[in-house]
Amino acid sequence: MKKLSRRSFLYGAGGAAMALPWLNLTHLSGAGSTVASSPVRMAFYYIPIGIVRSAFFPNQDETEYKLTPTLKPLEAMKHKTTLITGLDRIVQSGTDVHAQCGSCFLTSAAPNEVKNSAYPLSRTLDHVIADHVGKQTPFRSLELSCNSHKDNKESVYFDNISWYGTGHVAPSFRNPRKVYRRLFGTQGIKDYRDITDIVLEDARSFSRELGVEDRQKFAEYFDSVRSIEKQIDKIEQKKELIAKVEMIEPDDVPLPRREYIRLMGHLMIVALQNNLTHVATMMVGPERWNTPTMYEGVFDKPKSHHQLSHAQSKNQVRHDLEAIDHFHIEQFAYMIQKMDSIKEGERSLLDNTVFTLGSGLGDGQTHQYNKLPIVIAGSGGGSFKTGRLIKCNDGTPLANLWLSYTHLMGINRKRFADSTGLLKELGVEKRD
Amino acid sequence: MQIPCFILAMLIVTFCVRTDAADDVLRSAFKQHCFRCHGAEKTQGKVNFVKAFAAKSEGLTSDLDLIEKIIEVLEDKEMPPEDEKQPMESEREGWVSQLKKTLNKHLAKRSALNRVPIRRMNRFEYNNAVKDLFKLSRDPFALPERTVRDIGGYFKPATGKMPSTVVVGNRAMGKSQFIGKGNTLQGVAAFPKDNRAEHGFDNRGDHLSLSPMLMESFFALSQSIVNSPEFSRYSKTWETTFVAPDGMSKEQLRAEGKNRLKAFLRRAFRKDVSDKTISLYFKRFLQQFDKGISFTDSMKAAVSAAMVSPRFLYIYSSSGQGEISQTDHNFQLASRLSFFLWNSIPDDTLLDLASQGKLNDPKELGKQVDRMINDQRLKNFCDSFALQWLQLDLMIATVPDNKRFREYYFGGPNNMVYMIGMHMMIEPLLVFETVLIENQSITQLIDPDFTYHSEMLKRWYKHDRRKGRAEVTSIRFKRVPIKDRRWGGVITNAAVLTMTSSPLRTKPITRGAWLLSSIFNDPPEPPPANVPEIETDDEKIEKEGLTLRDKLKQHVTHQECATCHKKIDPLGFALENYDAVGRWREKYRTGLSIDSSGKLFNKHEFKDVIGFKKAILIEKDRFARAFASHLLSYALGRKLNVSDRPSLDRIVTNTAKDDYKFRTMLREVILSESFINKATTKMENH
Repeated sequence: MKKLSRRSFLYGAGGAAMALPWLNLTHLSGAGSTVASSPVRMAFYYIPIGIVRSAFFPNQDETEYKLTPTLKPLEAMKHKTTLITGLDRIVQSGTDVHAQCGSCFLTSAAPNEVKNSAYPLSRTLDHVIADHVGKQTPFRSLELSCNSHKDNKESVYFDNISWYGTGHVAPSFRNPRKVYRRLFGTQGIKDYRDITDIVLEDARSFSRELGVEDRQKFAEYFDSVRSIEKQIDKIEQKKELIAKVEMIEPDDVPLPRREYIRLMGHLMIVALQNNLTHVATMMVGPERWNTPTMYEGVFDKPKSHHQLSHAQSKNQVRHDLEAIDHFHIEQFAYMIQKMDSIKEGERSLLDNTVFTLGSGLGDGQTHQYNKLPIVIAGSGGGSFKTGRLIKCNDGTPLANLWLSYTHLMGINRKRFADSTGLLKELGVEKRD
Repeated sequence: MQIPCFILAMLIVTFCVRTDAADDVLRSAFKQHCFRCHGAEKTQGKVNFVKAFAAKSEGLTSDLDLIEKIIEVLEDKEMPPEDEKQPMESEREGWVSQLKKTLNKHLAKRSALNRVPIRRMNRFEYNNAVKDLFKLSRDPFALPERTVRDIGGYFKPATGKMPSTVVVGNRAMGKSQFIGKGNTLQGVAAFPKDNRAEHGFDNRGDHLSLSPMLMESFFALSQSIVNSPEFSRYSKTWETTFVAPDGMSKEQLRAEGKNRLKAFLRRAFRKDVSDKTISLYFKRFLQQFDKGISFTDSMKAAVSAAMVSPRFLYIYSSSGQGEISQTDHNFQLASRLSFFLWNSIPDDTLLDLASQGKLNDPKELGKQVDRMINDQRLKNFCDSFALQWLQLDLMIATVPDNKRFREYYFGGPNNMVYMIGMHMMIEPLLVFETVLIENQSITQLIDPDFTYHSEMLKRWYKHDRRKGRAEVTSIRFKRVPIKDRRWGGVITNAAVLTMTSSPLRTKPITRGAWLLSSIFNDPPEPPPANVPEIETDDEKIEKEGLTLRDKLKQHVTHQECATCHKKIDPLGFALENYDAVGRWREKYRTGLSIDSSGKLFNKHEFKDVIGFKKAILIEKDRFARAFASHLLSYALGRKLNVSDRPSLDRIVTNTAKDDYKFRTMLREVILSESFINKATTKMENH
């Protein structure tokens, strides 16, 4: 890894575009895949607290539609995106709506389907897919959250969309430096190999001392240690891959929000590009979490996304909310443009990815779980047509889209969560 | 309020399948008072009685939590709603006593308490466990959650006395709290802080899980800690565990290694360790040692391996199927005790007593509790429990408007770098520690005769614009008597009052909700969707000639809203004389007068905050119960439920007998059935 001067990273005022070397992807050579072997990557970009629908969804029909003010940043990449309207999730009463809309977005289990849990939460889509494709890569999956709050205000359900299963979170990284070290660090981990055998043996006898329920919970230990073993086995492969990556370790300095999100995005892109993982999730912010956040360059004072969402009947507040939505789309647009600039044979990294933007709430004010905002960037290696607006009938389960994704990734299943069938309108053809 | 309605539905179902006469009375009473809104004309709270009756489902009495909740809403006259026909006092009392009878009957029938579920240590516990395991004189890694930094060495619980002057820093908000060496071990990186459960603590078993990423952190920590260049200097176990004795042969060193490992594993795993387990980690030692690696490094390798064993990382209770052995129960108690009062592993004394099977003897247990409370490690309990109980970490992200409340900020080139919140946050924590160390009555937490003020804080409360010494690194707090009952305690302090305000005004609803959660352990439901926002600047509200109370009254027009707000708002408005940064005001800024009168639990009228505190003290058993519930839930790492009711009854009764003394309550919590609970494998549904 090439060391660059760190001085140039320090951010200036205003949060305008700055020359941050780590954001400059054009220098990356990477271990770009050849056409023949381009794997499909699956990534998610989660927006908390819903969006202002009126400024998000276009009124036009499917063929010729204009991007709404909120979606404007996607203009240059419109031909590579797919906007879907009309998808729904069903709420299960008994938990906070924000906690549930985020934590259950990618699981979409039917209400009361999951026993012994207040949340309709089972293994989330990203992990179901990682079960299938994760063996090929050093990391099964990557979970990121752009949550910069310092107060320990909300529970784990507000800050994570990726779950191994009921009550078992796949915790997300908030700190770019830690992501970097996880992705590119190889030191030490090899030494663990000598220890894993010992502790697994110990764990087996320990497990026998536990009651039934505790034993179920304790499975997390075996899963975690074995997952590390697999990573160690792939370490040589990983070393080869990351030798080609030119990226320097981020400093541990708080960044303005825009740069923070982009840096996390960049880390995700580098991981996907270099086949360190094929599955990634990123929350652009946590659910609810009332604490005001500074959106540099958007507002001059910290604002609470959640509080704004409940006051949007006021015009000024709605404008502010739309500005936040726009800001989030802008960062998504930045990421997909970067991904499109990375060539993989005749296609780009973006083309070979299914990168889905979405929120667990259609509307933040009323906590509606219907008419969810969904934008797909990329086409999973040409698995479906892009540049379209797909209007689903109201009430179409979000899980239908997820089911289509499992098929796209080569998983043959009849049902995913509360799906009623494939999302036919997307027209996924199974890839070989 | 949705829950009580729901409960009513459940109860109706419950009673309709029962037949004795008393139940029939209840049933017809509910029919008269509850049906209309719940099934007949409306289905408030998504409850339909008619349907429930038709279903005639049985077994709902097993949900005793619901019955408990309905007793509460009946006692507090939350239900039936105010504008509905009210039962006579005697009728109401009759229902409540009947419900209590039903409840107790079913409680008596129930054999098992809820288990304490297995969980990994949280970050705070892991840090302390490592510190105590190696007898380190510093924390392995930085912990901003350890808010009150004891600079002057004030914290000496064994003396039973807090000094009148204490010097502290604020690790979360102060200046230079971590800079330089002298606090943590070089080269050791923490894993992320664990989130609090909603209305709970950060040690809840259902929230703490393990992931590959975290496991990797544990692997990294297990090596970076013992290999830190500073480890040998700060660990008092260095010589006895890691340094090879002089003049031993290889064979002797092997035996020595095994012996040392045996002693180490007992402390790390918190119980007598089987030969099989010892041999596993001794194998690791031999792997290295027989390769020609030094004794020290071979020990390090074995110790590191043990630090990623589940026996170290997990806190667990149950053991195999069915009854557990006396010894196992003793060791479980040792860990439960030490993680409760010290947030750390048990010491040798506890382990020895457990090994001898003496710890579950109530007399011995009581003795140990006294000893543990007098130990320095009690600071961990104060750091962790008090902060979370009062939700004081909210202070960190509280930012009063920097124009309206310019004086909140100080220091640095523009006098804007620091917030006086760093002083505020300390005050209630010191009061908490004092009541505990000096074994005062827990009512002192509400209405104390003393508090601790820094110079800045003293001036702040007096509206004195001159700040005094701007302390940001080490802050001197002095104990002052409270003669004016408006001040002091965990409620009426600037920290709580500021963190429950928004930048430009107070938030009575937030304050009320905080009181319900922290003081009365009865957190309200989150507000429903689509509630219009109230103007965030009181100046603009007052321009309409309205007080905040008027404005909120307009706001709460729906009956559905009113039910909850009737409970929340009077509590919040009792504190309305304190502005958004915790200072007293007689009137609003525009001259409108402040009305802080109200009624507590629909029972006790009060005119002002002093009356409010008096009302809480009339209900001190209720506060005591709430406080005991927080303690017990924290001690067990789980949500409480109705099966803990008998324990709570006893804790409160016995504590009341001893003038509500804090240490007595801690002892009673530990001696309670819920805490001592000899775990079986039975688990109730959550």
